[in-house]
Amino acid sequence: MLIAATLASFALIACGKDSTSPGDPGTNFASCPAIDFGTKPAPLTLPKGSPAVLTALGNGVDTVRYQAEVAARGTTAYTTSWSVRSAAGNKVSIWDVSGNVPRFVDSLIINGVSTTGDVAVSDDGRLLVVATERIPGSIVIYDLADPRKPTKITTFSNSETNPGVHTAEVGRVNGKLYAFLSIDPLGSIPARLVTVDLTNPAAPTEVFTKVIGNPYVHDTFVRNGLLFLALWNDGVQIWDIGGCGTGATPAAPKVLGSVKTLGGDVHNIWWYNDPNGSKRFAFVGEEGFGTVPSQSSGDIHVIELSDLAHPREVAFYNVPGAGTHNFSVDETNGVLYAAYYNGGVRALDIRGDLSTCDPNQKSLDVSTNVSRCDLRQMGRELAIGLQDQAKPVYIWGVQYLDGNVYASDMVNGIWKLKAAK
Amino acid sequence: MAQAIPVFTRADPTATRTTLNEGYLSQPVVMATGTWNWLQGIATLNLEGLTLKRGELSTGAYGEGFVDRRHPHTYAHELMVGGLTRYFGVQGSVFAGRGFVPFGSDDPMMRPFEKYPVNHHLAQVLEREVAVAAVRYGPAILEVGTFNGDEPISPSASPQFDRFGDSFAARATFLPTGGLELSASGAAVKSPEVALGSGVDQRKASLVARFSRYTPTDWRYALAEWARTDERAAGRLTTRLSTWLGEAAVCRNGFIAAARLEQTDRPEEEQLADPFRTPRPPVDLSNLGVSRWTTLTLSLSPPAVGRWFLTGRPFVEVARIAAAPGNPAGVFNAEQRYGTDRMWMLSAGIRLRAGQSHGRMGRYGAAAVNEEMTMAMAIGTDSLNSGSHQMMAMQHTMTNPCAL
Repeated sequence: MLIAATLASFALIACGKDSTSPGDPGTNFASCPAIDFGTKPAPLTLPKGSPAVLTALGNGVDTVRYQAEVAARGTTAYTTSWSVRSAAGNKVSIWDVSGNVPRFVDSLIINGVSTTGDVAVSDDGRLLVVATERIPGSIVIYDLADPRKPTKITTFSNSETNPGVHTAEVGRVNGKLYAFLSIDPLGSIPARLVTVDLTNPAAPTEVFTKVIGNPYVHDTFVRNGLLFLALWNDGVQIWDIGGCGTGATPAAPKVLGSVKTLGGDVHNIWWYNDPNGSKRFAFVGEEGFGTVPSQSSGDIHVIELSDLAHPREVAFYNVPGAGTHNFSVDETNGVLYAAYYNGGVRALDIRGDLSTCDPNQKSLDVSTNVSRCDLRQMGRELAIGLQDQAKPVYIWGVQYLDGNVYASDMVNGIWKLKAAK
Repeated sequence: MAQAIPVFTRADPTATRTTLNEGYLSQPVVMATGTWNWLQGIATLNLEGLTLKRGELSTGAYGEGFVDRRHPHTYAHELMVGGLTRYFGVQGSVFAGRGFVPFGSDDPMMRPFEKYPVNHHLAQVLEREVAVAAVRYGPAILEVGTFNGDEPISPSASPQFDRFGDSFAARATFLPTGGLELSASGAAVKSPEVALGSGVDQRKASLVARFSRYTPTDWRYALAEWARTDERAAGRLTTRLSTWLGEAAVCRNGFIAAARLEQTDRPEEEQLADPFRTPRPPVDLSNLGVSRWTTLTLSLSPPAVGRWFLTGRPFVEVARIAAAPGNPAGVFNAEQRYGTDRMWMLSAGIRLRAGQSHGRMGRYGAAAVNEEMTMAMAIGTDSLNSGSHQMMAMQHTMTNPCAL
């Protein structure tokens, strides 16, 4: 009996769960006739010099909680909080950023959660959406009629948001507002994406869900009816959710293509639409290992989208001893701002063709034999921020807004910096 | 054999920054062994999933989503079958099933303390689907094993069977003289904390010296170990966790006095609303730094009382615990986390047992170095494989006043 039980223990097969809505995007790549990715931008030759310093204008201090993401609109910024410091990460701080030094004006406390990891303001400025971890996981939606006094509309939570909503990206698709929720894995239950229709913010409706990510889906980026998914070691996947004119919707997406960037650990994405009409490049954040507040790792990877079914990595940016996290882009001036944890804030010039460079500006990855342009060697490192402070920083998120950059610092609060351009 | 330990624990303070007093039924296990021709089987059912669902207060302990509490073990703690053979003085065995990986030191459950050391997850690898081959020639033993790297995610959860074979371990043991045992081991463990894979990997090393000698009325025991776990992401070292531990026990006429001193590094992880829990799997590869725990534990146990096949051995344990920043310290701050960097822990209970003492855990077939053997040596036998001598030793175990 003992022997039989042992043999049976080997014979047991763990049952995987892969519940998917009827509109599963599948694995056959679709085409995208309705989006013009523009012509290849002209190369831009820049001298390689020392990067400038991003001027820190002021620091709104919070050392009671670890800060997480930042979102800003007008003269108000919102920062979320993570895990437990002296107090739990159940707070969204509201800051008056009209002056140089962010001033704390109020807060939202979400009881029962340990992390309010992500925050977004809808494109019309009417809604604030906060993602919460952990069990059961939710998004909490607020009315921003008074941006300094958000009022709660509702909490959306269901079995699919368990055990936590890591990020909630908010975007409009063909006139309707959606939230794209990246759900944490739990034990052997895999990560998933949940898409929620926010047309009626008082009654959010789940329209799609799919198990995805290896082992995480950490973030998404939505624009022009395309959804970019950061799938960790499965790389980047691009979905048509209504932008390609082929009948796809957020409830019935179609896969357009995918790419695995070097190093994996794909954490976040920004699809850059430059003012001259080129939409050929997207920026991918790799989140490697880190220790708060002293070390981090992970590069910025540039992927080229001219063949949407088969994007390819063409360039990268590396900071020794530090790794990237979230991005924000000043598209008018072609500047990408990257939160770089202990490396502060990095500003990169992303104008022009990033896939073409001189041989001495290229770097060969010997393990894959892939040769990529090195943005640092191309003179694209425009400016560095928060490395001139007398204390360690650990920058989680950034947002460019109206000539300023707001940076959420896990250990110090929120910073306001003067933009590079 | 069945065992259970009703135990009271006072942790002053603990992760709540307050003093907690709790009581549980710890280590409720049922063990059985059997043979069928050349086939041998070992089974250990552990019911902590029923009695220790919230974990057992154990300041400094960590692992499997618990912190400052020891996690409950899986119901199927050990379920191994295998065969043992001998040719020209060489013993060989192959065992497979769910059980201990050939790495590190003995399972703490069969050592003189009720509280597990902080280094449990650095010094042992257990509850895996494992295949272990062992050979023994004279005083030398070599074991190699392969297993699934993922650690259990709950007492009842199935392992990731498709990950069997993604991790490896080997242990060499030398038995120079009666009661002394020296071993060195290493392990490569794939993504232990992310069951679905792609988490940080571990490279582990361990050195152990153990001594145990019985007489009909006395017992002397000592163990010294050093272990190290290197966590690696994409092949690069990310965090190094080290431990050293020394423990000793003496027993005379049934009274056991034991002491343990250890220093162990603990990775600090995202804390949840419940201060005793961390997310499993973690949401990324990062941590909050390393803390270093130095713990002195003293234990006293009067002679067991019993009748027929039931015995009860009372005990009291006192631990003095110091928490300090490790390397890198990250944001760990004991004062902030606990309100102090010095803590106490008091435990009292009774080790209830039905049937004979189990001896040691973690070795199979040709690699087994049972207490029965050291006892057999102590009472003057000259063959470790003599059935009659083993029987004598087992009877000795049942009646020895120093049995745990």
